[in-house]
Amino acid sequence: MVENRPLADLVSHAILILGVAIVAFPVYLALVASSSDPTTIANGQLGLLPEGHLFENYWKVLFEGTERSTKQPMIVPLFNSLVMALIISTGKIAISLISAFAIIYFRFPFRHTAFWVIFITLMLPVEVRIYPTYKIVADLGLLNTYAGLTIPLIASATATLLFRQFFMTVPDELLEASKIDGAGPWMFFKDTLLPLSMTSIAAMFVIQFIYGWNQYLWPLLITTSDDMQTIVIGIQKMLYVTDALTEWQLAMATTILAMLPPVVVVVLMQKLFVKGLTETEK
Amino acid sequence: MAEVALSAVGKIYAGSVPAVKDITFAVPDGGFCVLVGPSGCGKSTLLRMIAGLETITMGEVSIGNRVVNRVEPMDRDIAMVFQNYALYPHMSVYDNMAYGLRNRKTPEPEIAARVAEAARILELEPYLKRRPRELSGGQRQRVAMGRAIVRKPQVFLFDEPLSNLDAKLRGAMRVEIKKLQRQLGVTAIYVTHDQLEAMTLADMLVVMNQGVVEQIGDPLTLYERPATTFVAQFIGAPPMNMIELSPGAAPPPGLDGVQSLPVPPAGALLGIRPEHLAVSADGEPPITDRPGDVDLDLTIDAVEAVGAETYLHGRLGGVGQSFTAREHGKMLLPPGTTRRFIARREHLHLFDAATGRRIEARS
Repeated sequence: MVENRPLADLVSHAILILGVAIVAFPVYLALVASSSDPTTIANGQLGLLPEGHLFENYWKVLFEGTERSTKQPMIVPLFNSLVMALIISTGKIAISLISAFAIIYFRFPFRHTAFWVIFITLMLPVEVRIYPTYKIVADLGLLNTYAGLTIPLIASATATLLFRQFFMTVPDELLEASKIDGAGPWMFFKDTLLPLSMTSIAAMFVIQFIYGWNQYLWPLLITTSDDMQTIVIGIQKMLYVTDALTEWQLAMATTILAMLPPVVVVVLMQKLFVKGLTETEK
Repeated sequence: MAEVALSAVGKIYAGSVPAVKDITFAVPDGGFCVLVGPSGCGKSTLLRMIAGLETITMGEVSIGNRVVNRVEPMDRDIAMVFQNYALYPHMSVYDNMAYGLRNRKTPEPEIAARVAEAARILELEPYLKRRPRELSGGQRQRVAMGRAIVRKPQVFLFDEPLSNLDAKLRGAMRVEIKKLQRQLGVTAIYVTHDQLEAMTLADMLVVMNQGVVEQIGDPLTLYERPATTFVAQFIGAPPMNMIELSPGAAPPPGLDGVQSLPVPPAGALLGIRPEHLAVSADGEPPITDRPGDVDLDLTIDAVEAVGAETYLHGRLGGVGQSFTAREHGKMLLPPGTTRRFIARREHLHLFDAATGRRIEARS
């Protein structure tokens, strides 16, 4: 819209700034808290400006751990979360690409049944099937492993649906041209379909990385040993300590650290992400 | 270089009516065959069967004396140009042309040489590094052609390659395709619904309608001696005028000279091409009527002047069937005037009304 109405501009900017403030202020406060010392927070004297203990707190939380609660350096759960989010997002994309490829480009018996079965799993997230899934993972001896942490979360109908929709818009002539150019199904997938799906893959990666990173319930069940813990659980453990004061400055430092990887992923992939969800180029 | 032969080829899609029925013809080595017909006549299906993109339900297709019914498209030694070009959008022009060769394990220097050669022929040299979306429609079309010629196939298949281009470019590309095919000497099969493209490109024209072949021949034979009413009306623009004649009954008012035509008992259709309806311009002596000629009195109701020629639309005897006449130069008759048009006996086409087949003229 090309309009020149100063009042409307003013109001819309005010609303936008308010929105940003509501989202950003708590994050800022967490940053301020992570730079202060324990007594300031305990006495309720936390100001609006950062204090001088920033590096000290982050160093401590990353490599030494809290004094009273978990006593565990947070670098380990950060690493675990990163591994989990990466396995879940790449695993989901790989499986979904292949299954969407099969559903669209191959004629096999029960093709439609296969598609509907995948579709129905949309209604069965981990939370719904948590007991049977836990039982299976436990019986397979996968507790406290990356496999147990990620495999049950990998199977995904959403990504399959997205790629199926995308593949359906790829013109048939491209497949036919590939056939005449001597490319088999695998080469068509690798040389033509994958490069064309790059933007959709990036969009899916961003969504699934954040999904994987934010997992709480499943890691809580599946991991018992400290060295397999994920960062979300690490934060939770820091907050609820018995017989001691919560070390808020360290908890807030961990929170800030936990927010960074998803932010980095979004920032790096922003262009592709928006492209993948909006435009299609064929 | 190879001959393409079809024998009794048919296609039935699962559980539906036949799309293509019992088609037999052979395109000689180096020939340019055009399949032409209205949409839905089965011409594209036939081409796709030759390419191997559709299975052949009946009959045999052979390329260079080898039956290819069960041969994969890549092993048939063909190249195809698609209507929407089907270029790989993520590859450069060079890679688009090189892709098929790479899949065939052609050595890279050989690929470079062949692509350079094709780019030179098609004047694509400045664009080799670009992506298809950075090219105009005509350039994309040439890349699609380039992808076909670098392969040095035995047969070119064209599936309405020019229908996405504007009229001017289409004319230019038509000439280029014809020149290129002559120069390379490769057998070509070309599908189009545009009769002008068909007439100008073909050595051999196959007119199809509803899955069957109506007539096969060189373009001028089809123009001069159409075997059926369908061919008569499909080839030529504006289409041939047709009027029904019943045996014994008096001809419609305004139509003279048809009594001596051999009308069969079931009736006949008399066809006269618009360009064969002659009328004398103002101030010129009237055209002499020779024995066997047909005279039509047409009352003009519309005139279309396109410069080099004029299309006159008029009704027979003022109220009867509408006819179109095509005259050279300017012939701006005011609407409402009635003129006598003459069609020479050698330009008359007579068809059986029951079968639509041509009735050969008396000697």
